[in-house]
Amino acid sequence: MRAKTGLYISLTLLCAAAVLVVGFLFFRLGRMNAGEEEEERTYDRYYAVICDDPKTSFWQNIYQGASQAAEEKNACVELFGANLSSEYTTEQLMKIAISSGVDGIMVLGSGQKEMTDLIDKADAKGIPVVTMYTDNSESKRCSFVGVSSFSIGNEYGKQILSAKKEKLRLQYGEDAPRAAVEEETSVAVFFDESKLMYDQNAILAGIFDSLKREAPDESFSVRPFSVDDSSPFSVEECFRDVFMEADIPDILVCLSELDTTCAYQAMIDQNMVGSVYILGYYDSEKILNAISRNVVFSSLAVDTGELGRYGVEALDEYITSGNTSQFFSADVTIIDRNNVADFLKREDPAGE
Amino acid sequence: MSKRFGSLPLSIKISGVFILANLFIFMVDILLLFGINNMALELEETYRENRKLNELSEALESVQRAMTGYLDSKSTDSLSDYYVCERNYAELAGALGTRITNRTYDRIERNIRNMSMDYLDLVASTIEAKRGRNVERYRVQYEEASEQYEFIRVFIRNLNEERFVSNSDRYAVLSADFRNFETFAMVVMFAVFFAGGFVIIGVTRMLIRPLQELAASADEVSGGNLDASLPESSGNDEIGRLTAAFSKMMVSIREYIVRQRKSMEKERLMQEKELMMETHLKDAQLKYLQAQINPHFLFNTLNAGAQLAMMEGADRTYEYVQTVADFFRYNVKKQDVPVGIEKEVQLVDNYIRILNVRFSGDIRYERQIDERLMKVKMPAMILQPIVENAVNHGIREMGDRGRILLRVYRDGDRVYISVRDNGKGMSEEDAASIIRGEWSHEPQKGDSNGIGMDNVIARLKLFCERDDVIEIKSEGEGLGTEVIINIPYTAADGQEG
Repeated sequence: MRAKTGLYISLTLLCAAAVLVVGFLFFRLGRMNAGEEEEERTYDRYYAVICDDPKTSFWQNIYQGASQAAEEKNACVELFGANLSSEYTTEQLMKIAISSGVDGIMVLGSGQKEMTDLIDKADAKGIPVVTMYTDNSESKRCSFVGVSSFSIGNEYGKQILSAKKEKLRLQYGEDAPRAAVEEETSVAVFFDESKLMYDQNAILAGIFDSLKREAPDESFSVRPFSVDDSSPFSVEECFRDVFMEADIPDILVCLSELDTTCAYQAMIDQNMVGSVYILGYYDSEKILNAISRNVVFSSLAVDTGELGRYGVEALDEYITSGNTSQFFSADVTIIDRNNVADFLKREDPAGE
Repeated sequence: MSKRFGSLPLSIKISGVFILANLFIFMVDILLLFGINNMALELEETYRENRKLNELSEALESVQRAMTGYLDSKSTDSLSDYYVCERNYAELAGALGTRITNRTYDRIERNIRNMSMDYLDLVASTIEAKRGRNVERYRVQYEEASEQYEFIRVFIRNLNEERFVSNSDRYAVLSADFRNFETFAMVVMFAVFFAGGFVIIGVTRMLIRPLQELAASADEVSGGNLDASLPESSGNDEIGRLTAAFSKMMVSIREYIVRQRKSMEKERLMQEKELMMETHLKDAQLKYLQAQINPHFLFNTLNAGAQLAMMEGADRTYEYVQTVADFFRYNVKKQDVPVGIEKEVQLVDNYIRILNVRFSGDIRYERQIDERLMKVKMPAMILQPIVENAVNHGIREMGDRGRILLRVYRDGDRVYISVRDNGKGMSEEDAASIIRGEWSHEPQKGDSNGIGMDNVIARLKLFCERDDVIEIKSEGEGLGTEVIINIPYTAADGQEG
């Protein structure tokens, strides 16, 4: 009986102890769970990436490339305006960034005076600015990171020739008649209106240069088209209009991601696949899929990650040493049927 | 510990168990309360940041309003209003974080802080321009300040949203925690309920078990089974003591019963003995009465004869008749109580005298008596029958050669009375059969008082409470017989019955 008394008392104490221990663990672990947020990390510098449309994958990729590079230098990059409830223009975002006192700005240049003034204002406040993709060459920006418009034009010129060759091959087989080869091919190059200043001429010059060099005796009519991108849906309308015209160009050269998408969508809608060739821009999944389905002939992809990385490097170098290279050039890649599979794989590593 | 627990009073034990159970429940309650309190506090904390941001937003608005008010009216009131608002906002904005982290809201906070400082500078310079009546400048700066104000408002809203999203996540976690906690609390409550019940039932049963055993034992005893197994005493509490007392009482009762039984047995034996004595005595007296005519009449008659002899001067006759009268008087007396040896010897003397008158001094009678033993008690009517036997069966035919020797002596704690004759003796078989009480004696003769040896031996045995009370020795035919009886020596006995 004494042993039993002991048993009961020990059982009671054991129960009490168990409840206490379980309770304690529950609270400890429970509270740890509640506080289990992303681990906080503090940075030394704070850079802003400012663009016209932060939601496009083009800018997202630039931002990611910049972030990765910044991470190595213990800096933080923010895609300004991406999370704001109001839509702001690049200039307004510039003002905000300057006022926020960031350590450096990577901004999509526009070549316009207002932007130049803002860049100068930032410089006056001691904030270095790197223009990305398009330049404000007159401003006090510390560097420009982009691709050479002339070489882009060159690449497009080569693609125009390939597209023509493909078209002839499909029509006449390997040996196309001389007359068909010499027949004039109409090429339309679409520039966004808001970026009229961004080296249109250089691109066109590049195209001409390449056509001249590669096929001096073939005839091409290259016309620049301006795309009204002032309102949200005007780009789409613009491409629809192109296909409604009587004289539809043989080859369309699109110089932005949205242009490319709108162009091929309009082409599908007008049932022009096969008779019109689209030379796109950028390597978004949509465009890659279009290439793999032969809707888009080829696309020109800028290594956006590299753009971002160069931007951060330029800022870092400037802040650290007070000086940096005036121009960083990112690589350009042609994506066509032959290598689209690799890009698709890269886009979707799971292969689904 | 359990030993100490066992010796605690019952009331403390029972209270202890309940207090322990209550303490246990209390502890669990405190734990649960603590948990709930903790969670409530955290829930409260969750949206504190949002409330602070709303405050900030309001302060910003009031700065803008004060500035606009001053620009509108240039009144002193609005200016002082502006200073108050400005200080308030500067304070609130100054409290914002400046850290650059991977958390969006930290960065937005920093941006708001910097933008606010810019904004306040802008507002101050606008006010300054207004005071300096620099119309162009204050208009431009007002525009800029207003734009900045809008930016900040959007940023605050943005931060509010960011905080809200992050807090909502936190809230969701907390909320899930709360649910879990609810389940946990339920489980704990049930566990406590069952564990408490288990412990209380267990301990109560343990405390009550000795009482139940005691009750079962008591039931059995009250049912008549005094040999019921006794409960084991447990601990030193009231029940333990009760059990111990009960066990002790039962043992005492059993001992008492055994003692009582023994004493009743003894009493029964005593009564039996007394009854036997009485029976034998009655038997002797009956025999005597059968043998004699009314002794009182004889005794009175003899007395009358003695008086007559005295009147006539016949002294010897007188003496003889007196002796006979004494002899019979002794016989008539109530004789169921022991008498001194002296009385018995006297009776033998009287008897011999009577016989000697009858047979004109034929018997030579000698006595060797230790006078100190004369008060020792012995049953009545013992010696005379023995002497009678010695005369009748021993020396009757011997004429004047017959001798009787009566001896009384002590050896240790026994007193021996020997009656010896020099008569014809007897065989050992006869002696043994007499002692065994199997001797068939012949019918009564005229000179016997009728008491047989078997009666004498039986009474002696009863008196002495032992068997070897008599010994009969004979050295053979014609060599005489000695009958020796022994009785216990009771020295201080002076009383006579």
